[in-house]
Amino acid sequence: MSQLKSNKKLKWALDFNQKNKQLSTELPSPPGYSQSSNANYAESSKDSDSNLLLIKKLWDVALGPLKQVPMNLFIMYMAGNSISIFPIMMVGMLIVRPVKALFATQSTFKMVEGTQAIGQKIVYCIGNIVNILLALYKCQSMGLLPTHSSDWLAFEEPQTRLEHIGGGLSLI
Amino acid sequence: MGNLSINLKPNFMGLLKCLNSINWFIVFFSLINLSMCIYEDQIGKFDWRQSYVGRIKFAQFDTVSTARKIIVATEENVLAALNLKTGQVVWRHVFESTSSGNIQLLHLSDQIITVTGSNPYLVRGWDLSTGVLIWEWGLTLQKNEHTDFSEWWVQNGLLVHMVPKFGSHIEVSVYNVATGHNRGATSKLPAVWINEGCVLSPPYYTCISGSPGNQLLLSMDVTSDAVQIISKPLAEYTTARNGNLNPFDTNTVIPGFLLNEKIILIRGNKFEAINIAISEPSASVALVDSASGPLVLQTWNDEAKGFTLMAHNLVSGQRVNEIGWSDRSLSIPEPELSAVICTKTAREQHVCRILVTAADDASHLIQQEGRVLWTREEALANVVAVEFVDLPVSDLDAAIESEFDQKEGSVLAAFTRRLQSQFQQLQGAVRALLAGDAAAADEPPPLVRDYFNLHKIMVLLTDTGKIFGMDNLSGEILWKLYEPNLNTEAAVMFTRRSARHPPHDAYLTVVGKHEETGNGLIVSLNPIRGTPVGEQTLHLDVQILQCAVLYKADAQKLHALILLDKDENVQILPESSAPLVENMYMHVADRSSAVVRGYALRHDGERVSAKNIWSVDLSGGGSQRVVWSVSKPAAERIHSAGRVLPDRSVLYKHLNPNLVLLLTEGPDPVHKDVVVATCVDGVSGGVLSAHVHRRARRPALPLHSEHFLAYLYYNDKQRRHEIATLELYEGPERWVPAGAAFSSLRGARAPHVQRHAYIVPAAPAAAALSATERSLTDKHVLLALSTGAIVELPWALLEPRRALSPAGEAREEGLVPYAPELPLPAEAVVNYNATLLRLTRIHTAPSGLESTSLVLATGLDLFYTRIAPSKTFDLLKDDFDYYLISVVLAALVLATYSTKYFAARKMLKMAWK
Repeated sequence: MSQLKSNKKLKWALDFNQKNKQLSTELPSPPGYSQSSNANYAESSKDSDSNLLLIKKLWDVALGPLKQVPMNLFIMYMAGNSISIFPIMMVGMLIVRPVKALFATQSTFKMVEGTQAIGQKIVYCIGNIVNILLALYKCQSMGLLPTHSSDWLAFEEPQTRLEHIGGGLSLI
Repeated sequence: MGNLSINLKPNFMGLLKCLNSINWFIVFFSLINLSMCIYEDQIGKFDWRQSYVGRIKFAQFDTVSTARKIIVATEENVLAALNLKTGQVVWRHVFESTSSGNIQLLHLSDQIITVTGSNPYLVRGWDLSTGVLIWEWGLTLQKNEHTDFSEWWVQNGLLVHMVPKFGSHIEVSVYNVATGHNRGATSKLPAVWINEGCVLSPPYYTCISGSPGNQLLLSMDVTSDAVQIISKPLAEYTTARNGNLNPFDTNTVIPGFLLNEKIILIRGNKFEAINIAISEPSASVALVDSASGPLVLQTWNDEAKGFTLMAHNLVSGQRVNEIGWSDRSLSIPEPELSAVICTKTAREQHVCRILVTAADDASHLIQQEGRVLWTREEALANVVAVEFVDLPVSDLDAAIESEFDQKEGSVLAAFTRRLQSQFQQLQGAVRALLAGDAAAADEPPPLVRDYFNLHKIMVLLTDTGKIFGMDNLSGEILWKLYEPNLNTEAAVMFTRRSARHPPHDAYLTVVGKHEETGNGLIVSLNPIRGTPVGEQTLHLDVQILQCAVLYKADAQKLHALILLDKDENVQILPESSAPLVENMYMHVADRSSAVVRGYALRHDGERVSAKNIWSVDLSGGGSQRVVWSVSKPAAERIHSAGRVLPDRSVLYKHLNPNLVLLLTEGPDPVHKDVVVATCVDGVSGGVLSAHVHRRARRPALPLHSEHFLAYLYYNDKQRRHEIATLELYEGPERWVPAGAAFSSLRGARAPHVQRHAYIVPAAPAAAALSATERSLTDKHVLLALSTGAIVELPWALLEPRRALSPAGEAREEGLVPYAPELPLPAEAVVNYNATLLRLTRIHTAPSGLESTSLVLATGLDLFYTRIAPSKTFDLLKDDFDYYLISVVLAALVLATYSTKYFAARKMLKMAWK
């Protein structure tokens, strides 16, 4: 349908902008305006400023998971150890979020390639891993981790027997 | 359910507390599963009941009431009315199974008169049409001796009781039937000539007396006021040296008897020999009245001609041609004329209806021309063993299965096999289409396995030696096999090959005793068709001590039968399987001496020999005797190796597959009676645990499965039935690693035994455990009560781990607090209100559905049903609304496509805007 639309556009629409654009680009500079003066200085100062900001921002992002730890601890404490729908949902979120974040590390730090990028990534990963560990600890205290022999009881091979018996009361 | 009901008891706060602590899920599910019973419209859907009365002792046609019936009294002490047209039970009264319920007399006038018991006697009158008791009076004789030979009959509205005292006199008492008033007290008639060989043909009592060669035939009317003895030399009637007196099987006309295949009547105080030949010494002879005068009927089973019946006119001695035929297709061994009624049609033809009871306890109602109106297989009132046998898969399924069985072969070969079976499937489909539905509707459904393996054949072994194959879904008898020489007193049945191995047929073996010699008698048959296979009927020349089935199958997938005979020799059937015998042990418990012997079976290259390796004496100083010995079911699967405790550790079960529970009982000098339950290892002979119940009697109904055992006994002190339960545990650490083989010889360690006893507030008659294919579902105990109900109890209620006041952990585990009395709720009765009389056994078998267990209860009635101990979790509900679901589904699909269309239109419109 969109194809149809664009075709129609091409067929029927009058493009008034094209010429204007061309015109505007070819406009001469206003009188007294020098393009070359001061441009170099302003450019460099702006560049370092935004870089600093970006690094700061990225550190914020990198430290974000670690900052969540106290909050998560509080949530975990509030959720309790009983197994019901809300604590389970919370624990699920606690695990799923850092794991997702870990997988998305590349895309999160895509925009920069600075000197501190590696450090930031490492901190970010550590923060997420701490969160996962916290969630696992929570699972452990809720008893959701299959760490006991009882959890594997159903998968055990059934016992076989060496000797076989027959008999009973005397038939005579 | 148990959780909830027990917590409801204390108070409501208790319930609230429990709701807090117990998992919400458990509460939720227990609310759903509040009842185990079925809905009213499900009656008869999965279950059926067949009513039997037992072997017919007396029978009389009811000619008085409008609804034609046959009134029968049976050896099982049942008084019943059978519908003349269908043979169904119209009404039935079951008397005591002991001698006090013995029916001595059945007399029909305008009401039914019965005499039951043996001193004291009960005389009762019953309404003919409804079977309601009208009156009753009791009679107790002062002197108890000689009453075994007493005779009863009704004469002119008076009940006559005759007690012969051999070699001395006859005591005759006459009573008013309805009231019991003794008319003329008891009269003693002197008769020194009477003996055990005398016959009664009311009112005459006839004997042969005297020294051999000089014998006299004596007879006397015992009811007449004047004593008149008819006496004739025996030589006048028979040339044989020894006279043999026999009464008629049915006699409604003239007093008479049979003397060495000769009919002699007593008319006008005279013997009168009738010149009608009795063709066969074993023939059953009856004297019946008909429109053209009295008839003599005789029937026997002729080897050449089959079932034969013949009739003569008593007066003329002429043969009545229209009554009399032989039928080779009828298999009625040793027929006996139970009741005969003869009328005449408008065309002056005799019409007789003859009720014949055979040696195999079957009763046939035969009409003219040998047409059998109905047959009642009364042998089924005494079932001694039951085996559920899987049906074979259909030919098509077998082909598909064999395709997957063949592991070897190249890809190309597998592909051609695939194509072949596909082609066969196509052929089958085309053939089914061509044949049409009409042909399929008429013939019975083929005996092939259904998808869930719910359809099976039940092989029932009965007391008389008749073996039945019965369809479990309909209760229809598919085949029957009568083995007259089979004594089923201690008979066992084994399925030695199931129908799962296509080219080979299923194979079932019955090991019993020969009726006369007591030697081993082995019957092998195909349980699907009832035809003899393999060894067929094998008479051994030695008594069998014990038998077992070898766990290993031979090349033909047949499990060998191991027979241990009286001289401790071993016989393997078939003999070619002898090299397969290894690691096989047998044990034999002797009832009276209470000694259990264990044998190791070894194959020494030529033959298998049994070596006595241990023996355990359970006699306790000579007074105890073994009453039960029960080991685990042979093909038992155990799903879980342990029990998970609330702290998530495992309490491992002691799953000794060789464990045998032996119940002994006997008198005790201090405690009156003592019951001892001993758990013995069947391989090593080691005693794992022993429990003594003091002042207890009658240990019964042992149950043994996985790691738990249960048995019933009668508590003499409290006068009640109790059930003792045991569970065996290895503890938190397992003795052998998971998956390893268990060996009884690996060193003896005693397991932890937990035990409890519970009061059963009823008298249990039979017990069984539910059985499922993989033992994933809960175990339930089925208890048949003497009230005629079968109660399904979860094992959780019988568990010995139930603590008196459960602390936190035990409560978390879901253990029900201990209560001494077992609840037997009405909704746990699996046979709803279909009362089952005199239940003796319950048999369970797994089906292909993990949730479902098949149950057959036997006794006087047969009752089949299926139970789902953990609910039908793998099955849609019975009333699942398929129509609603498909309508909703179709509507949803329709809605999806229509909205798609409308959405496209809307988009188009939007684009135009």
